[in-house]
Amino acid sequence: MDRLIELIPLSYTDSVVLVGAVILGTAAGVLGAFAVLRQRSLVGDALSHAALPGVCIAFIATGAKDATTLALGAAVVGLIAAGLILAIERTGRIRPDAAIGVVLTGFFSLGIVMLTFLGNFNNSSQAGLDTYLFGQAAGLLVSDLTVMGLLCVVSLGLVAFAFRPLKTALFDLSFAGSVGLPVRLLEFAMTALLVVAIVIGVRTVGAILMVAMLIVPTVTARQVTNRLSTLLPVAGITGAVVGTAGSLISTGAGVPTGPVIVLVGFVVVMSAILFAPGRGVAWKARRVAAERRRALNEGVLIDLETAVHSGAPPTAGQLALLSGRPAALVKRALRDLDRAGALRRDGERIFLSESGAAAVHSLLDRRDLWSAWLEYGWQIEVPDAREPDPRDLRGSLGEELTDELVALSRRGSGE
Amino acid sequence: MSWSLFRGEAPVNDDLAIILTAALLGTSCGLLGPFLVLRRQVLLSDAVAHAVLPGIVLVYLLFGSRAPLPVILGAGLFAVICVIGIERIRATGLVKADAAIGLVFPTLFALGVIGVTTFAPGVHLDLDSTIYGDIAFTPFRTWNVFGIEMARSLPLLAVVAAGNLAMLILLWKELKASTFDPVFSKVNGISPELISRIVLVAVAVTAVTAFESVGAILVVTMLIVPAATAYLLTVRLLPLIVVSVLVSWISAFGGYSSAVALDASIAGAMGLVATICFSLALLLSPRYGAIARVFTRRKGRLRVTPPGLPVAPGAAGVSGGEDVAG
Repeated sequence: MDRLIELIPLSYTDSVVLVGAVILGTAAGVLGAFAVLRQRSLVGDALSHAALPGVCIAFIATGAKDATTLALGAAVVGLIAAGLILAIERTGRIRPDAAIGVVLTGFFSLGIVMLTFLGNFNNSSQAGLDTYLFGQAAGLLVSDLTVMGLLCVVSLGLVAFAFRPLKTALFDLSFAGSVGLPVRLLEFAMTALLVVAIVIGVRTVGAILMVAMLIVPTVTARQVTNRLSTLLPVAGITGAVVGTAGSLISTGAGVPTGPVIVLVGFVVVMSAILFAPGRGVAWKARRVAAERRRALNEGVLIDLETAVHSGAPPTAGQLALLSGRPAALVKRALRDLDRAGALRRDGERIFLSESGAAAVHSLLDRRDLWSAWLEYGWQIEVPDAREPDPRDLRGSLGEELTDELVALSRRGSGE
Repeated sequence: MSWSLFRGEAPVNDDLAIILTAALLGTSCGLLGPFLVLRRQVLLSDAVAHAVLPGIVLVYLLFGSRAPLPVILGAGLFAVICVIGIERIRATGLVKADAAIGLVFPTLFALGVIGVTTFAPGVHLDLDSTIYGDIAFTPFRTWNVFGIEMARSLPLLAVVAAGNLAMLILLWKELKASTFDPVFSKVNGISPELISRIVLVAVAVTAVTAFESVGAILVVTMLIVPAATAYLLTVRLLPLIVVSVLVSWISAFGGYSSAVALDASIAGAMGLVATICFSLALLLSPRYGAIARVFTRRKGRLRVTPPGLPVAPGAAGVSGGEDVAG
């Protein structure tokens, strides 16, 4: 560990914080996934609060204030809290959110009472215990890093080792039970992994901010992948990147590390939610806008065809009046159509070019076909039950059925 | 911690102020908590508790004061930001509700922590009592209301409790419909979204007002635990709310007397008493308790006749056995 610290071109303390943040980010990213994907994100919140009585008990029992002893106390009490959450849920009436809430407040109240007891015994001895809640990255030691690193490696190794059973239990608990997997053990293991992540991270970012560190990487990774085997590494890397960026910014700006890491994480997760390819909010908005524009252009094209058929080629203003659409929209659609080469102009007046006429005809054909589907579709036997795509009925029904449909509609309208 | 400040020479009046404050708090929270439990939004209260920190810090930095009204306004602003932010993120459909909560409140809390450490480094980060308030201090923060000197938490919380009660009475039907069957309520012209927003605003106002006088953790406890306890003991909405308020009163009185007896944190002791009530209900509830469940399960096992065995007389109506026997 010492040699690793020397490799980093930063001051000693900053390097320790940086390495700590990377370990924390990786562990929290991978292990948090097992809570977030089960919709138990806030179990981490309860376990972080349960660290307070854990720390107090460890201190009362041993009188020691070194990180490892306190972390051990936090871990043991965290495991108890995790077990209690599962047990309360299992009685059936109380739902997960209430179970988490009750355990959270119960353990935190216990912690506060213990803190006052410690304060009554000896006022100076409790100092330092409550920094546990808010984290103190600057207080990290190389020996802490070794412990954190070991825990991280061991827990990630466990995840890799038990990947398939964990995955099965994660997505389908009843199926996992039916194929004979030890469901309760797996469920507990997933929560226990969370305890490990919290123990690793709580010194650096503090109990409350730890909640975000467990969630940010998984939610980010979830926006770019649908597979657990990709999600876990992506979440780990995201966590490590967030940790690195946060600790570098915080040492540069001289503000506490934990909050900065969390803010960086929030920025990362929000960018993923907004811009994730194919899924993000901005992406979807763009697709909807493009779809609207296409529909508008098609509508204006058909209006133009109707107008041209019924009289002299209209001007843009007349067309807007005829179609009842806002003039600005019609103008924009005409610009688009012009660019596509569907229009010809004679001064102010507009009519269709050759390709424009062809486009209108295929469009009208498509509309007729869709009307025929709505009217006669029930008479033809479709091999699969899916609704066909209105934009490409011929493609989704197949040539044979489409011809049958056309024949049906001809017969229908002929009578 | 703070209790030792007035141990021994405490006048009776101070005890009364604390107990009354806690009872009023319990009433306000006990009325709202059931709706959080029923709507599966329990953890919003914890989120709001942390998210208001930047509001409190901002008010302190701007006005240099911790006077109740500006603090309540600042905190209220961030409570609303928190609730709306969670709702917005959830509405994208890309993030589940629980994860949305867990993304928003630590971020706001982080802003608050940065604010405290950067601009007010002298303030020790003992947030629960220094910044959020502590129920043990209520007798020392007084207001003069109509010529009577009283702990200022009393009129504040009385207004909140009355407001919550009024909301429940005025919107009883709407609350009931939108909580249990949102689709039905929408069909009948009651917007479940609007009612949900009203409930969340009520929770935010209650929480923010109460943080200032009694501290965050106690408010969160009172919102969650009594309601969850009552949920184990009752089936109908009105009894649920009544029991929830009763449990919060028991926690208030029991917590205060045990805190005095044990010389411990008042908020912590009240939280522990509430948790004990919950544990008892979880074990002993005649309908949903763990012990009752063991018995019903055993009874169920006896009642179902294994296929292939002759049906015992009087066990008619149990299917399976009869088919085979016939």
